[in-house]
Amino acid sequence: MVKIKDKIEEELQAIFSNDAPWITIVWDDPVNLMTYVTYVLMELFGYNKEKAHELMMKVHTEGKAVVSSGSREEMEHDVARLHEYGLWATLQRGDQAI
Amino acid sequence: MKENEHGFFRHGDSAYLANFSEAEREVLINLVEQIIELLAERVDHHSDDPLAAMVGITMHDTPPDDEVLLRLLPNAYADQVDASEFRRYTESTLRQKKQAHALAMRMHLMSAVDGIVEVDHDGANAWLGAMNDVRLALGVRLKVEQNTHEDLELLAPDDPMRGVYAVYSWLGWLQESLISALMDDSE
Repeated sequence: MVKIKDKIEEELQAIFSNDAPWITIVWDDPVNLMTYVTYVLMELFGYNKEKAHELMMKVHTEGKAVVSSGSREEMEHDVARLHEYGLWATLQRGDQAI
Repeated sequence: MKENEHGFFRHGDSAYLANFSEAEREVLINLVEQIIELLAERVDHHSDDPLAAMVGITMHDTPPDDEVLLRLLPNAYADQVDASEFRRYTESTLRQKKQAHALAMRMHLMSAVDGIVEVDHDGANAWLGAMNDVRLALGVRLKVEQNTHEDLELLAPDDPMRGVYAVYSWLGWLQESLISALMDDSE
């Protein structure tokens, strides 16, 4: 019983803590220009050119990159904005395998 | 379509200019109107509840059947149940936002004087979004993949897809010129 209680407390703590349990992923796409992806990340997230370029290169070379993390609502908002600009994005729990 | 050799360039602090030929303007207007039409609501699936319709909640939660629409309105979750729920509450808004980009681009093109289009920062972002949606749509039709560019370069002169690819490439170049002007690192 103690174990289950610990488990529940752990879950509750994860839900209420600021541990950024959700992530937004951008996936590689053969159409979107590299400069465009960089620009959109700068515009939507306020990242500087260096950081946006680094994330874009990760998408390009590894097929995907985590571009933001936070609450589920925040990540849904980020994904909606990325879709508005044509980037291929999804969200999921941060502790799930990508 | 060789007349516009510069694409967009920065003009003053926050304006971006491009000079289009009549033919270029017609091509762009035609493409952007197709996107506006494509993004129109799926009327047959719209909610009967006027309040739900007003706040953008739709009855449909399945991904679009059309390959192009699916690319423009992709799933937000790998999980199908979550993806459907998200789509039900957001797809309508996404369609409207994309249409707004396309409508802004159309308006700029229609009101151009002597072929000169002038946009501010927000207008530039609308153009980028709309041009990108057109490229995504053409890209699906052309079956563009990571390594298909060489094949597309070698399309036969009488292949109708050759013309489509030319427009696709030109749009990419135009988009690149605007991004370059926005990032202020154009030479």
